[in-house]
Amino acid sequence: MDRNEIASLLQLEWRLDRRQKHAWGSMALYVVSTVYTCYLGVKQLNTVATWNALFWIIVLFAAFNALGRSFQREEGGRQIYLHTLAHPRNVVLARTLYNAGTMVALGVVSLAAYTLFIGDRVLAEADIGLFFCSVLLGSIGFACALTLIAAIAARAGSGLGLMAILGFPIVLPMLLATLRASKLALDGVAWSVAGNYLLAVLAIDVLAVALSAILFPYLWRD
Amino acid sequence: MKGLWWKVLATLLLLYVVIVGLRTPLRPAIVQTSVSRIAPGPVEVDVWGYGTHFIKSGAQVWIENDSQRVCATSVAAIADDHLRVQFTVPSGLRSEMSDLAVFSERDGLLERFGAFFTEGRGAGIATQNCVTGKSLRLAILEFPNRDILNESIRNLFFHVPMWFTMVVLLSIGVWKSVVVLRKNDPDADRSAAVAVQVGLAFATLGLITGSLWARVTWETWWTSDPKLNGSAATMLIYLAYLVLRGSVPEPAKRARLAAIYSVFAFSFMLLFLFVLPRLNDSLHPGNGGNPAFSKYDIDKRLAPVFYPACLGWILLGVWMYDLRNRLLRLQHRLSDANDQ
Amino acid sequence: MFISASLFSAATFAQQGQESWLVETMYKSGKINTVVAVVAVLITGLAAWMFMMDRKVSRLEKDMNKR
Repeated sequence: MDRNEIASLLQLEWRLDRRQKHAWGSMALYVVSTVYTCYLGVKQLNTVATWNALFWIIVLFAAFNALGRSFQREEGGRQIYLHTLAHPRNVVLARTLYNAGTMVALGVVSLAAYTLFIGDRVLAEADIGLFFCSVLLGSIGFACALTLIAAIAARAGSGLGLMAILGFPIVLPMLLATLRASKLALDGVAWSVAGNYLLAVLAIDVLAVALSAILFPYLWRD
Repeated sequence: MKGLWWKVLATLLLLYVVIVGLRTPLRPAIVQTSVSRIAPGPVEVDVWGYGTHFIKSGAQVWIENDSQRVCATSVAAIADDHLRVQFTVPSGLRSEMSDLAVFSERDGLLERFGAFFTEGRGAGIATQNCVTGKSLRLAILEFPNRDILNESIRNLFFHVPMWFTMVVLLSIGVWKSVVVLRKNDPDADRSAAVAVQVGLAFATLGLITGSLWARVTWETWWTSDPKLNGSAATMLIYLAYLVLRGSVPEPAKRARLAAIYSVFAFSFMLLFLFVLPRLNDSLHPGNGGNPAFSKYDIDKRLAPVFYPACLGWILLGVWMYDLRNRLLRLQHRLSDANDQ
Repeated sequence: MFISASLFSAATFAQQGQESWLVETMYKSGKINTVVAVVAVLITGLAAWMFMMDRKVSRLEKDMNKR
């Protein structure tokens, strides 16, 4: 785990993404479109449970969309070049970190759009700090769990559909824990109660990243 | 795995489990009382038992409250499982929960702990001697009779081993996957696939038996409970594994991708089925500190049938895996031989 | 497994009334013997089928190894 290598890989990702800004645009557009479609369906949501659930469903699908692309660029010659430059463990760790950053940004953008259209009255009694924390941890969790899955799906060549099938069961319990935690946060419950669920999310994150680091080198070999 | 002995053993164990597990009677118990609060003064209580013989051998009934006993003033056996009892409850009992005790020579001592909430408490009373006679009950093996579960405790010998078998088979699968990653062995890849297929079959049976059991004990086919969510997620993960295998045509790439996902999936399966349920509140027996069900699966009376059941079903599962594996290997060799 | 479920026909303790609280179970009525017999037959049948398949596969393996 070479920190310098990871740092330069992160810089590489950032630069590549800056050159293809349309990727960010498409992610943001996806989120806003989804939120707006839901808005047309429900107008305003004032019940905590529904508001919470719909929010996380939107973030979930945005996550699949965004993370699915993360390995699509690497086909062909560029991948072999990268293979000679960097240790695969660093590649996957850098990719995971970058995806985590992307997901956090996506989560914040989703939250902004969501509160704008679907209403923010539910936030009145919420523990904002706890809620924000659960949104952050949940988004990071998606990135951790789905990075390796995205790599497998990209290598299998079947694209986003396969990634969703492979990734959904892994994400399911983590999503459940995040849902519970954020709902508790919206109900204004103390940290000690929601903390259990956040710890579960953290445990899944750690396991996923560790497994990715161990397994990715096998994927990289070709 | 070579040998005939363990296959015969599996068959015999399962036959033993089915016969003994279904025929062994439950211990007699008191299952219901018509009142749940008692106050000083006369009170009439209807008591229902299960597996009891109140008419055939008379019953002596008393209330036990913090080692103070109050004998019943009259006991009438209406049916073999139904008693009508009258007490004169004194004031001044010490504890707020009283137990109901029924003794008969045929059934022994039956107790229902915390049967009555007690009013009119005080410093304590002198205890009475309510029991005469010795228990003549002789039973080689009896199963515990728990509230809510009653006879359905027998499902333990079918439902739980299904999941154990699934875990064993998926462990075989992940072991073969590791072999694939290290040596790129196509035979190991096929074995891994077979292991997951048979493991999923047992998982399906586990889900069905669990669902039926839930219908009987919890009055619902499914509920949002950590263990059930974890088992659903496990099924989905491994079904996705099979989908992954199906979507990659080249054998070498398929073997490697499947092996990677298999290791990923197995780790998460262990997390979802064993770690997460213990961290959260769970209705499921054995997790979440559920008092009525705690540790019943290692109750000594169930062990003589439970452990052989686990072993028998696991051996059966491994036998199925072994058979299917050999068959597919033969098919592969045959198609290879035909190609040449 | 399905058959074992039909054992549990007796969990209707919702009644708080004066009637016998547990309806007749398979155990008491002796039907349990039929259940045991059926399940035992099923398991024996399954085992017998698997033994036959096992023998067939072994024979084929021996053939292939000889060639």
